[in-house]
Amino acid sequence: MSDYSDKELLTLFKNQEKRNYAFNLIVRKYQEKLYWHIRKIVIKHDDADDILQNTFIKIWKGLDGFREDSKLYTWLYRIATNESLTFLKQKKTKYLLSIVDYENQLKETLESDEHFNGTEIQLKLQKAILGLPEKQRIVFNMKYFEEMKYDDMAQVLNTSVGALKASYHHAVKKIENYFKED
Amino acid sequence: MKNKSKINIKDLQEEKNNPFSVPEGYFENFPSKIQEKIVSDQKETNWFIQLYHVIKPQLALGFMIAGFAFIAITAIDTIMSNRVKSPVSNETYTRIIEVDASEYSEQQFIDILIEDEKKSAEEKKEETDEYIHYLMDEGIDYGTLIDEL
Repeated sequence: MSDYSDKELLTLFKNQEKRNYAFNLIVRKYQEKLYWHIRKIVIKHDDADDILQNTFIKIWKGLDGFREDSKLYTWLYRIATNESLTFLKQKKTKYLLSIVDYENQLKETLESDEHFNGTEIQLKLQKAILGLPEKQRIVFNMKYFEEMKYDDMAQVLNTSVGALKASYHHAVKKIENYFKED
Repeated sequence: MKNKSKINIKDLQEEKNNPFSVPEGYFENFPSKIQEKIVSDQKETNWFIQLYHVIKPQLALGFMIAGFAFIAITAIDTIMSNRVKSPVSNETYTRIIEVDASEYSEQQFIDILIEDEKKSAEEKKEETDEYIHYLMDEGIDYGTLIDEL
């Protein structure tokens, strides 16, 4: 793992001779965080892998124009989130799936996924999360699992802190109700 | 886990461990995979840029010829349309093509000519009236004028 700060990595990237090296360090620094962020949205490893590749290709192409008025990592998360949401939208359109059908499909994927090693309760929690609307699901994952600050989440999702807090609160209530009902 | 009816999200804290996994060596191999993809992307882009540079002069020449042709055709078209302009007005031309001269009898032509002559007599009378009014306005005696003439 690289010890470079984001600022140092960006400075290094601006140097034409070292930009490949700098980008490699950025990939190494953020690949896992972005992968897990994407994976929790799309569930399947193969889909997450494709989206992560597309995300880094976009980062490579757009890093020259990055204006540094936001943090590098929130910018990276924003690209990963947008790519994931676009993927879900395309999948639903391609297979003409309703939201409920798609949720059920993801739940089935979860149960049969060889790369899911969770306990019974973890599986239940994931199913409860899959029952949330897409954006609420992203908010819940970012806050609960990734423990991201609301300010950073607001930058990633381009919304207000108040809206995020309300969204998280609703998500928690829905998950608690899911456990009560089941 | 505690009683299901009293479940709280805080009770699930210990379930926060990541339940997902990845194929072995995935994160170790990913950076080189992405570098390869970027390099192949660059090659594709470079190939397109190289092709563009090769055909750029031909493209420029083609656009130049097309431009000249367009200007020339427009100019010739304008000149030709001015030359073949009809000596009669559009209205008259429309009237001419609307009527078939063979439908007119000789009498109709005579009537038109008489009507035309009547029109000119009326115009002459109007002209004479204008002179008389002028002389009256200027206070010139008609008899004096005749004597002078």
